Amino acid sequence: MASSRARAATGLITLIVLTLIVPVIITPVINRWTAGRSLPPTYLPALEGPRERGAFQSIRVTELRYLQPGYVVIGDSMAGTRVDERRLGELAGTAIAPLLQPGSGSAFWYLALKNWVIASGIKPRMVFVFFRDTNLTDLMFRLDPQFRWSLDLTALEREEELNAVVARRIRPLHRVHVFLDRSMAVDAMRRRLEPAVAEWPAERLIPSRRRRTEFMSLMNARLGFDHLRPMTAADIQFDDAPDIDFDGDVEDSVLPLMLRDARQAGLTLCFVRVQRRPTAHRPPPQSRELETYVATLRAYVTERGAIFHDDTGDPVLTIDMYEDGDHLARHARRQYTENLYNRLRPHFQ
Amino acid sequence: MIFHSLDFIFFFVAVTALYWTLPHRAQNILLFIASYFFYGFIHPWFLILIATSTVIDYCAARGMEAYPQYRKRFLWLSVISNFGMLGFFKYFNFFVENVAATLNVVGLAVDGPVLRILLPVGISFYTFQAMSYTIDVYRGELRARRSLLDLAVFISFFPHLVAGPIQRASYLLPQVESRRRFVAEKARSGFILICWGYFKKLVIADNVGIIANKVFALADPTFYILWAGVFAFAIQIYADFSAYTDIARGTSRWLGFELTENFDHPYLARSPADFWRRWNISLSTWFRDYVYIPLGGSRGGTWTWMRNVLITFLLSGLWHGASWNYVLWGFYHGVLLVLTRAGSFAVPPARRAQSWIAVPQIAGMFVLTLVGWLLFRETELSGIVRALRLSPLGVSELDRQTGAYLFLLAFLYSIPLWMQSFWVEIGRARQTAPIPEPIELAPWSRMALQGLACGLALAAILVFRSRTSLDFIYFQF
Repeated sequence: MASSRARAATGLITLIVLTLIVPVIITPVINRWTAGRSLPPTYLPALEGPRERGAFQSIRVTELRYLQPGYVVIGDSMAGTRVDERRLGELAGTAIAPLLQPGSGSAFWYLALKNWVIASGIKPRMVFVFFRDTNLTDLMFRLDPQFRWSLDLTALEREEELNAVVARRIRPLHRVHVFLDRSMAVDAMRRRLEPAVAEWPAERLIPSRRRRTEFMSLMNARLGFDHLRPMTAADIQFDDAPDIDFDGDVEDSVLPLMLRDARQAGLTLCFVRVQRRPTAHRPPPQSRELETYVATLRAYVTERGAIFHDDTGDPVLTIDMYEDGDHLARHARRQYTENLYNRLRPHFQ
Repeated sequence: MIFHSLDFIFFFVAVTALYWTLPHRAQNILLFIASYFFYGFIHPWFLILIATSTVIDYCAARGMEAYPQYRKRFLWLSVISNFGMLGFFKYFNFFVENVAATLNVVGLAVDGPVLRILLPVGISFYTFQAMSYTIDVYRGELRARRSLLDLAVFISFFPHLVAGPIQRASYLLPQVESRRRFVAEKARSGFILICWGYFKKLVIADNVGIIANKVFALADPTFYILWAGVFAFAIQIYADFSAYTDIARGTSRWLGFELTENFDHPYLARSPADFWRRWNISLSTWFRDYVYIPLGGSRGGTWTWMRNVLITFLLSGLWHGASWNYVLWGFYHGVLLVLTRAGSFAVPPARRAQSWIAVPQIAGMFVLTLVGWLLFRETELSGIVRALRLSPLGVSELDRQTGAYLFLLAFLYSIPLWMQSFWVEIGRARQTAPIPEPIELAPWSRMALQGLACGLALAAILVFRSRTSLDFIYFQF
């Protein structure tokens, strides 16, 4: 009886040890099989292990220098579906430079300001930053792997300050993820194996490599943004966080860095809080916590020399201007832009 | 807290290590604290609901025994409080929207109040579990428990709290009340279940989920693309939900509990009735025992039986979500059950049992299941109508190939699932053990193979886990 119990316990321990050892043994083998090229260190070592990164878009700096815009607009699809830059340019009598990235968050906006706008040396009259509710102090919003790739467009080889803020923000357990990624070079394996998996069905269907590449490109376009239905649910999902705390979040966000860098560069930031989707007859409901948060945010940025504008409750922005979720319809962009210009007219003079 | 997070792994290891150092009563106290910590980890206010439900059900059951003449009133107290909470959090907005839509139709423009509040995860599961306790006490099938702690552990037991399987009080409560001992053999099988569960969730479900999400996000899917997406969703929902069950069962074994099985290779079902014996078994049997049979079951003639089946399935559909597509899905399965039973009279029993017929039966049932998943996944009724009207003819070459590509990719990820299902099913057909051993292996060889398989699963999780981590689908129910 005792021996069978001991055997069962040994079996259990063996099973667990084998489970943990097998990945440690096979990952170097697979990594040797892959190209073996060492990956460059990431600019966010607090958040991720080494990975293949996309190129920094230095062309944006060149474009800004060439364009010498009077106003710059930074943001995600909230800005993209609101601002008609041509109309704004007409009204303001100067060129507008949109630096927009759908699916981006405050880390992207900070890097766009620092590495594109300020690095270009241009002196626009104002830099608009469009955001929703708590975006500006919610650093981790859209920093997950699904969205993180877009940071590559704006990040330099090292981003010490951003990394330091991220390190303060992430939970201690996340370091286990980073350790695993680093020690097993998981990204190197992914780099080799993921395309192989994605390629397998195409190889079954189209033997010719040239035609296959063409098909993959066409298929990606077929499933791309232009064919998507309105993403109401996806946008509605961005909701009031139940634990909104401006004072607790602001120092672990990029907002102080944005304000500091802009001040040092002699730029004026204008933060535009967009109105979420209203109901049929009312502005969108807001919790008391959110109202307090916004009031504190307004005081914080204006004390530091920035402009704050809140669309919420603007009677002009009615439900019929909205398309899906918090996005505005194409037909409403001109009206929105003119309204924004009128609301901020003193700052446009 | 969610299973596929490091938080949970550390939490579970710590709880289990402490748990086995404690005597029985202290183990239950620890399970109670751990379960409430697990449930309130992100939204502590959820705990108010589960605690309220537990206290009311405890008092109601005790009241039934103390005052038998008021048994029915105590049952109503339990039913109203449980369904009241469920109805308020889950169906309030649905109700208001439909009332407003109806009033708009008759020309009364109404902007109804909207409840901007999170649906407490798992509320549908634990209210049903709690209800099973009070109903069983009411029926005299179970004694009301004196220990509030034991009842609280039964209702909140963390491995299955959020997405089942729904356990009966008569099955789980005795396990809570009796002494448990650590059995290495059970822990070993539990460990394998946990590894398999994580593999199914992170490698299969999350990756095919991307395909399904992509297709259902399209404004203009054509026939082949749409059905490839439906196929991907079928794989996703099975892998996802059964993964949760496996992890729940595996972790329970480490704590000395045994939870009931919830899935039995449903995509190899040969008929709608067979499907419901294999899919979400704990929910199906709950509806059978607490709705279908009290309604009269199959007693009282064909029409009564049909009515009872349809009511049961409509309610089952509504349980899944506050949306008409879930109701439609439930209705569809009810109709399938009725029609196949009607059709079965035309086929002699001897022919139905023939083995050659199994393949077309399984294939046919799988196609019918896919139609059901279309109703389940497509939340807009206009989208369902449009999807069902799509024709395989006149589709461009690109869309045909795209559909085939997406189907093959989803199939590639699902190969381990199919292999496991066929392995078990073929074993059954041979009337041997549930999982037949093709080769007699020495215990150590078997252990080595199991270790290798679990290690490969872990390696696959590290490499192939989707970059888009999706919640367990059944969390939303």
